[in-house]
Amino acid sequence: MSARGLVLLGQCMPCIKQNASKIRIRRMELDKNLNMYFKKDTFFFAHDPQKVCKTGDIVLIRELPERLTRLITHKVEKVVYPLGDITDPISGKKVVVGKYREDIEMANQLFGKSEKAFDYDKAPARGRLEGTKDFTHGETYIKYHEDGKDQPFAV
Amino acid sequence: MPFMKGREPIRRSLKYLNAGKLVLKERVRVFSVSYNTYGNHHAGARDFVFWNIPQIQFRNPDVQVVTIKNITPSPFVRCFFEDGRDMIIDIDSKSCDEIIEHLTNVVGKTREELVAAARLAESKDNPANFGYRCERHCICEIPGQVYCPGTVPLPKEIRGKFKFAQK
Repeated sequence: MSARGLVLLGQCMPCIKQNASKIRIRRMELDKNLNMYFKKDTFFFAHDPQKVCKTGDIVLIRELPERLTRLITHKVEKVVYPLGDITDPISGKKVVVGKYREDIEMANQLFGKSEKAFDYDKAPARGRLEGTKDFTHGETYIKYHEDGKDQPFAV
Repeated sequence: MPFMKGREPIRRSLKYLNAGKLVLKERVRVFSVSYNTYGNHHAGARDFVFWNIPQIQFRNPDVQVVTIKNITPSPFVRCFFEDGRDMIIDIDSKSCDEIIEHLTNVVGKTREELVAAARLAESKDNPANFGYRCERHCICEIPGQVYCPGTVPLPKEIRGKFKFAQK
């Protein structure tokens, strides 16, 4: 339909496929009557054997010269903004939505840090709670059948 | 302007969209702007997105134009090229016009390139053509061809119904 670029920026979505991640590409499409641009989502499957990108990360994908399978047409080139652990590209420091982590730590030192507060230095990499409390790695569905087994992905 | 409802509907007119100054170079594939919805030093970036993003997307339909909100303390523009490299442009505390000027100088096509491209688009039509959307509508208008039978009937020797009827 529209011209597909070689290189695209998109967000990683929950996906059950092994070796591949589902990426949502947000494009702007012109409505001819209103002359207004509206967001339109396209989904691509990108080859990612090591599962570098997790759900919510913003990644750069590149079109493969030959598609691997009928559905896997792109490959993940690099993770631009991992979710929760964004590095400000201008200064190179770690950032938490509009504040530098150093500033937050300084404020905590002055005011006194709560014991339950999230410690960025000591927290392990993302994925620690996958399976127990984090269920973003698989697609959810509305529960249609109760068979006694545990269905963590059923909504 | 029909359906001119909403905030600043001038942004949705074809004349405004075609008047966009920034035509990105061919190697640019993704043009992403990151800014915050709060903060005075992001005001220029917010204006840039509000006024100029539709123009940029209109003049570059093959480029993916993305806006990302509220991720970093300072606003920036990040362009991704074909080979995977990216370019970061800091737009902190800059006004909307300064941002556009800087971008046209850095990643935009120069005026000469745009003029040359416009000239190429015009001269594709072959002046020898005739028909719909050409200067001459019918072959009868071209000197050296048979005159128009609509004005004066053709002689019987040329007309098919007489040539084949006598035999």
